[in-house]
Amino acid sequence: MDIRLLRPSDIPLIQHANLENLPENYFLKYYLYHALSWPQLSFVAVDVSRPPKTPYDYPKIVGYVLAKMEEDPADGVQHGHITSLSVMRTHRRLGIAEKLMRQSQLAMVETFGAHYVSLHVRVSNKAAIHLYRDTLGFKTEKTESKYYADGEDAYCMKLDLGFIREQLRAESDDEDEEKKAAENGEREKKNGEAVDEGEAVGDVGRDPAKAESKKGEQKIKVKVGRALGVGELIEKVESKHS
Amino acid sequence: MPQTLSTREANLFRTVIRHYEDKQYKRGLKAAEQILKRNPKHGDTMSMKALILNAQGKTEEAFALAKEALTIDMKSYICWHVYGILYRTNKNFDEAIKAYRFALKLEPDSHQIQRDLAVLQVQMRDYQGYIQSRFVMLKARPQLRQNWTALAIAYHLDGNLEQAENILTTYEKSVTTKPLRSDLENSEALLYKNSIIAERGDIQRALEHLETDCKHCLDRLAVMELRARYLAQLGRKEEAAKAYRALLDRNSEHPDYYKGLIDALDIPADDEVSLKAVYDEYAAKNPRCDAARRLPLDFLSGDRFRTAAKAYLTLMFDKGVPSTFANLKHLYSDAFKKDYLPVLAEEYLGEHSGRSSAAGQANGDSSKGEGAALYFLAQHYNYYMSRDLSRAMEFVDKAIELDPQNVDFHMTKARIFKHHGDIAKAAEAMDHARSLDTKDRYINSKAAKYQLRNNENEKALATMGLFTRAETVGGPLVDLTDMQCIWFLTEDGEAWQRRGNLGLALKRYHTVFNIFDIWQEDQFDFHSFSLRKGQIRAYIDLLRWEDRLREHPFYFRAALDAVNLYLSMHDKPQNGANGAGDVLANGEDAAEKKKAAKKARKEAQKAEREAAEKAAKRDPNKAGAQKSKEGEETKKKDDDPDGAKLAATTDPLGDAMKFLWPLLQFSPKNVDGQIAGFEVFLRRNKYLLALRCLKAALAINQEHPRVLEQATRLRKVLANAQDSLAPKLKEVIQSELAGVPGE
Repeated sequence: MDIRLLRPSDIPLIQHANLENLPENYFLKYYLYHALSWPQLSFVAVDVSRPPKTPYDYPKIVGYVLAKMEEDPADGVQHGHITSLSVMRTHRRLGIAEKLMRQSQLAMVETFGAHYVSLHVRVSNKAAIHLYRDTLGFKTEKTESKYYADGEDAYCMKLDLGFIREQLRAESDDEDEEKKAAENGEREKKNGEAVDEGEAVGDVGRDPAKAESKKGEQKIKVKVGRALGVGELIEKVESKHS
Repeated sequence: MPQTLSTREANLFRTVIRHYEDKQYKRGLKAAEQILKRNPKHGDTMSMKALILNAQGKTEEAFALAKEALTIDMKSYICWHVYGILYRTNKNFDEAIKAYRFALKLEPDSHQIQRDLAVLQVQMRDYQGYIQSRFVMLKARPQLRQNWTALAIAYHLDGNLEQAENILTTYEKSVTTKPLRSDLENSEALLYKNSIIAERGDIQRALEHLETDCKHCLDRLAVMELRARYLAQLGRKEEAAKAYRALLDRNSEHPDYYKGLIDALDIPADDEVSLKAVYDEYAAKNPRCDAARRLPLDFLSGDRFRTAAKAYLTLMFDKGVPSTFANLKHLYSDAFKKDYLPVLAEEYLGEHSGRSSAAGQANGDSSKGEGAALYFLAQHYNYYMSRDLSRAMEFVDKAIELDPQNVDFHMTKARIFKHHGDIAKAAEAMDHARSLDTKDRYINSKAAKYQLRNNENEKALATMGLFTRAETVGGPLVDLTDMQCIWFLTEDGEAWQRRGNLGLALKRYHTVFNIFDIWQEDQFDFHSFSLRKGQIRAYIDLLRWEDRLREHPFYFRAALDAVNLYLSMHDKPQNGANGAGDVLANGEDAAEKKKAAKKARKEAQKAEREAAEKAAKRDPNKAGAQKSKEGEETKKKDDDPDGAKLAATTDPLGDAMKFLWPLLQFSPKNVDGQIAGFEVFLRRNKYLLALRCLKAALAINQEHPRVLEQATRLRKVLANAQDSLAPKLKEVIQSELAGVPGE
């Protein structure tokens, strides 16, 4: 297993993993939109133990987190959002989802000054809820009724990233390298005690269908989703700039 | 000549433009008609009308009108601009560039035309043109940082690294106020410049720049990684080791960091004890770290391997990690390790059987402990390097006995059937695994894949339909196509091909081809988007990846399938244009084949309908789905849904070329592509090209039996064709043929 930053060339196999694992799918351009807007935030888990078959083999993606920053936060507070997270059924119980999330959370604070990170999860997805709530410390903000296309409700969850901000502040204040390393070790150990995420850590994707139908019903402007390409998103940005 | 309008009509013309921009096409057309009533030959208005028609999807009409407008008013930049836009929206970027150039010549100060042209140039990789455009744009608005960065990008892409760096530096020097630390555009521009310095090969300077200018860059990970790499490249080992340690503290699951640290520590490759100590340190620090525990198995030998492997397997089995085998099978190239791992698993079984089932039941998870070891052994005996299928079956059955509801166990059982060659049973077993967890799309996808391997296209589509979006018009297949589900399209095509339905097979391969076209076009919007976002390094990465997009195995497989299918169509021409030729079953007459194909088609449509209905029933938002169906823009109707027109081709070899060229261009080192290329070229009597494929194939694998057979065949064909060859060509072929085996 290799956990590292996402590269554009990974995207076809990320899309493949998403299509294999989750019902919320997106076309390639939507992944590109993430990879080119917030390239620091998305990570992949790669199966490095496959013997290559041709000189053109691409790294096999067995897990990914696709993350973004909220472009116009309604509350005015800079924050991240997890668009999609999944780990192949065959590669569960290695803590991959947790490790991907932690990398992404750290980068959200470092690069974009995020104050918190939010996500949606199916209310029936016990394993994922366990990971977010018990292992990572997310709190349930509210329940969004019929968020998913099949009518299931979603929990809207949030994690305050203040603890990472504090860590970074402490690290930058502290010039003593030795001490810094020791602290990191401590932190890692603490995290290490976290419980295994257990079974399926399935989808946490924001359901695009829901976003669209909401637009119609409640006149809320939600411009995310698979039927909306980057074109749409770009026009939005353009109008802001011009 | 540019024509002048009366004030009233000039105003009207402006409303036409406004309506177009607001997508009020009907109103726009109405206004345009009003002008044309009095000035039937007003080129600009005709062009605007064409533009609106194009936006309404009336492409042909639009082009005809735009051309007419141009003949009337060659000197109007509007006419040329519209002509360019028409080409651009219809993805003919080369022609679009030409039209834009004319427009720009007539109206050199138009920012919009210049900007559009620049985007087209970089999309088409016309770097010289792009440099020119960006230069003009920079001169027009030098106060914008984007314009400097863009010109640097243009030089960079063109390979002029020095000039790229100079441009970035010139901008930096022109700034009088120090940018804020939180200025992301600045932070990314600095890191972009740093990557250029490193690309120029001046690592020392890159490191200095990184440690001074980039010290506070917001992408911490990039700064840390680059610094570690530069230090290592400069031989500053002590500092490099420290830098890699800092990275490992951040992420202990990235093997490159261990490698960097070990190199920096100068530990010899055969010093297993010292190497292991490095990993042990991180294993101790991170109780949940996998890499630090697993990677040493790669280099340890003898007793040290035994001890470490035992510890690792015990941990994995206790936890019930299903990927244990998958994560270790690469060790099987070492015979000792291949033989020893199953011994360890058996040992573990001996110690845990019975006992663990009680423990397993206590925590309600029999995939841990004994179950995990049985599962490992089943996979071991199912793997091609250590295959013993009856033993594999024994172990998987034992595992299933322990936990009859375990999806993973049943999934492996299906795989064992597959390796037995019993595809039908494999499909059945996989579908059983699916039924054990109907909320999991992974196992659902696998079940569909196995159904396709068993040539059950209709059933597979219905299975897929359990998870596709119910509201998509046209059912699961349309959803899977929209969502670019390449694996399904390819497998579906291959299954249709095995069933002799050439039309549907070709249809799927062409769909995959088209998806790659879309992926290539997807970069278009990012040429301007990324400049605004300021994430330049990611953008450069994207362009470089797009440049080799079609080397992807997803493309290779579908394209090779298509080429081989076209070859077989050439060799065995089909009668009738129904696309129902059956390559497998001989003896059926054409009418029967036609009937069979029709039936298959009907079945497919029925299955699709049923799947859609079923999915719709499942969906409580059905009413909403219905609504969105009507609201959706009417898609272009597919005039060949069954691929009958594709299958009716009279020139299969010509059609194959579109698939073949990218294979040869982007995956030249894949022997299968060269072999297919040879076959196509030989049949088209392109001897030199065939010879080139042959030589490329030989360079990859001198002993490949197909290649050797091809060499013999080429000599024979050439001997027969001697007289018809031009003397010059004969000469070249003779000299090229020297050294090719098969004489």
